[in-house]
Amino acid sequence: MAMRELVTGGTSCPVPGSSSSSNPVAALAENLFGAASKTRDSVRELPGITRTGHPDASFYPGTDGQSALPGLEYYQQPGAQGSEFLHAYRADPAGFGGVWDEIQRPQLPPFAHPREIQGAPHLADLQIYDHGASSQLQPTLDGPPQRVLSSFLHSFVGSSRAGVPFRPVALPVLGLSEGDKQCIRDRSSIMARHFFADKSEDFINSQVNALLHSLEIDNDLRAKGHLPGRFHEFEEHWNESQGAVRAGPSHPSGRWAAEYNQQIVSRGDPESWARSFEQQHGSNGWATEFEQEQSQMISTGQMQGANNSNLAAMEQTRMLAHTLAQNDDPKFQNSKFLQFVSKMSRGELIIDDNQVKPAEASASGDWADEYQQKHYGIHNSWADQYARDEHSYGVDTWASEFATEQEKTGLVDDQWVNEFSKLHVQDWAEEFAQQVDEGAVGQNSADNWATAYDEYLNEQTAAKQRSDASRGVYVFSDMNPYVGHPNPLKEGKELFRKGLLSEAVLALEAEVLKNPENAEGWRLLGITHAENDDDQQAIASMMRAQEVDPANLEVLLALGVSHTNELEQAAAIRYLYRWLQHHPKYGHLASPEKSESLYYADVARLFNEAAQVSPEDSDVHIVLGVLYNLSREYDRAIESFQTALKLKPRDYSLWNKLGATQANSVQSADAILAYQQALDLKPNYVRAWANMGISFANQGLYEESIRYYVRALAMNPKADNAWQYLRISLSCASRNDMLDACDSRNIDFLQKEFPL
Amino acid sequence: MANSTLKSAALLDQMKLHLATDAGKDLVKKIGLVYQINIAPKKMGIDEESFVVDLKKGEVTKGPCEGKPDAAFSFQDDDFLKVATGKMNPQIAFMRGKMKVKGSLSAAQKFTPDIFPKPSKM
Repeated sequence: MAMRELVTGGTSCPVPGSSSSSNPVAALAENLFGAASKTRDSVRELPGITRTGHPDASFYPGTDGQSALPGLEYYQQPGAQGSEFLHAYRADPAGFGGVWDEIQRPQLPPFAHPREIQGAPHLADLQIYDHGASSQLQPTLDGPPQRVLSSFLHSFVGSSRAGVPFRPVALPVLGLSEGDKQCIRDRSSIMARHFFADKSEDFINSQVNALLHSLEIDNDLRAKGHLPGRFHEFEEHWNESQGAVRAGPSHPSGRWAAEYNQQIVSRGDPESWARSFEQQHGSNGWATEFEQEQSQMISTGQMQGANNSNLAAMEQTRMLAHTLAQNDDPKFQNSKFLQFVSKMSRGELIIDDNQVKPAEASASGDWADEYQQKHYGIHNSWADQYARDEHSYGVDTWASEFATEQEKTGLVDDQWVNEFSKLHVQDWAEEFAQQVDEGAVGQNSADNWATAYDEYLNEQTAAKQRSDASRGVYVFSDMNPYVGHPNPLKEGKELFRKGLLSEAVLALEAEVLKNPENAEGWRLLGITHAENDDDQQAIASMMRAQEVDPANLEVLLALGVSHTNELEQAAAIRYLYRWLQHHPKYGHLASPEKSESLYYADVARLFNEAAQVSPEDSDVHIVLGVLYNLSREYDRAIESFQTALKLKPRDYSLWNKLGATQANSVQSADAILAYQQALDLKPNYVRAWANMGISFANQGLYEESIRYYVRALAMNPKADNAWQYLRISLSCASRNDMLDACDSRNIDFLQKEFPL
Repeated sequence: MANSTLKSAALLDQMKLHLATDAGKDLVKKIGLVYQINIAPKKMGIDEESFVVDLKKGEVTKGPCEGKPDAAFSFQDDDFLKVATGKMNPQIAFMRGKMKVKGSLSAAQKFTPDIFPKPSKM
């Protein structure tokens, strides 16, 4: 069962004992809280219950030699109800909710002794770790004890990021209290398990021991106290079952459970939680932090109706619910706030227009108010920040990063699970603290996650953007049967002549892979791509051709045309001017110093001069036609192309140029005639077919346009533009039933539906 | 508009001609709204050029709207082309912050790729 299903709910993920909830994780959390009062009663009834926590040796008489880790001890303190637990576990191995109830039970805090710092909250002690947030590995270890400690701990965290062993360091006397030590010990062992999830247990132990040794903390002190030898059987069984779960590759939930267990060891007394938080931040620290964050965001309300912001909000509440799950205070568990959060996390409550029913004033009333006030801000700021991030980082990068990652693993679900487990509340809190320190630059993983997830949802667009990002770089096909062909150039030319353009592309790619310096191969490849209606690839291959042979007139003209098609005026003028410079007949007209600052008017004037010099040269008229297209003087452009066609009537690409010009000057009926001429000369001219579709669509004849687009796509399924136009025509023709086929690029189906 | 070097200006030029055709007149009948489009060459908000696509009168003019448009959009040059040619869905453009909208939301929702003519390729 995928982690995703645990969190979001899904058909394959029934929740034992809860028919209503669609979200098993949230249900679990609710089970924990909801069942708490009941559980507590049963705990009281149980004889010989052991209480956890403070190293109170009298509770744990049997200290045998087992080397348990601090992070694991609570597996070993089931108290007298161990057998009951086993029973429950055996009876319902899938019922995590039930199991968790059982696990949770012995950890209820002893009401009689609230402890000081032992169970300090995540945020607070993460602040310790992140204090002075810079990631240097070797901090200076002097100054006041607090400062030393924080930088020392920071170097521990830093070493974990670098993945290097952490070495013990001599520290000045820090005067840590027992409580502090315990806190650090617990935290470091837990965090180490997060950091080194991919490393062996031994490595983790040595890391933690190195840290603790430096701080003069006895690692085994508490752990030993917690080793009751009585429950061997239980322990074995637990380890066994745990091992089985871990072994199964399809059980990320098991891993999650384990991780959760590790973390839950550090459950704390709520009072100390609050106290320590206040110590760190002042009583309004939380609010202030959020306000600071918010103040850096753009105004709210821009993202109304944006699904992803709701999604982000829900994710956030889930994490919050998760954090809260570790708080055992009965008041807190019964509070409205918690109910509110768990409802939020299940999506039952959505904040809409800042309207949520206000929670009644209770012990937690302030919290609830605070949360409501802030939440709207949070969810907007998430969204806003997300939007802002795109400016600074560029969504293309994200998209390509995410897409490459996806391609590598091929297992989105697993990745998601990994991502999620990385996103454990601690990390989140840590990252949040870091972000605040760094002035909300938005590098935290929560944002990454939101971004990545949105990208995943919009995968198709992302893929398209990726292709844009790789602009100017030629992208070779993956599987090319012509690689290894004895003479791919000849084969490519033959295929091109036959009009099998997509095949010709493959053969010519094989040629330029074999001979990257073959300008002719690159040029033909470029022409083939242009005829196949792929200007991006055409430009990329023509640029390679031009690198090899900078003076090739055909290449320069083709680059000018392709850039004109892409509406890139400056680049187009540059190449057309070079064409003039390199032309043996007209080169003298162009003065070389001009090539940097080109004005359209100057270039057009030079070509007009050239046309006067030799009016019989069709190429000059073609270039003039392209230039007039750039300046959108379509009548003149049409005239030039018509002149050229008188000289070269069998040039199908010239007929297409004429047609395209006529189409762009909304003479669609004439354009269709010109395209027809081109297609008579070259029946597999994909570009002309696609242009036909465009002309029909621009006249509002969507049904017809669909047939031509489909025809073009049948010949070249890689023609992205035609897919986009087809989609528009389908929706304009009210053929929404075919949009799925279009989105999945099911050309066979479309061809059956829209034969030409 | 002819002196603009923006790619979008080329498309809007074509739009201007397009509105004179039967298909263009249908658009005016169907939509009947006035849009202002602000296009920046590189970064949104910097060196913007404004165009008015008046689908009431069937005109495209350069410069900001004289009255109040039904909706005003801001784009970066490439992104406008992406939206107008169907490469990017307007909703996604909006969510990603690639399109900013001012004015009536219902007017903005009628701003779809199919109102623009598609450029043909040589």
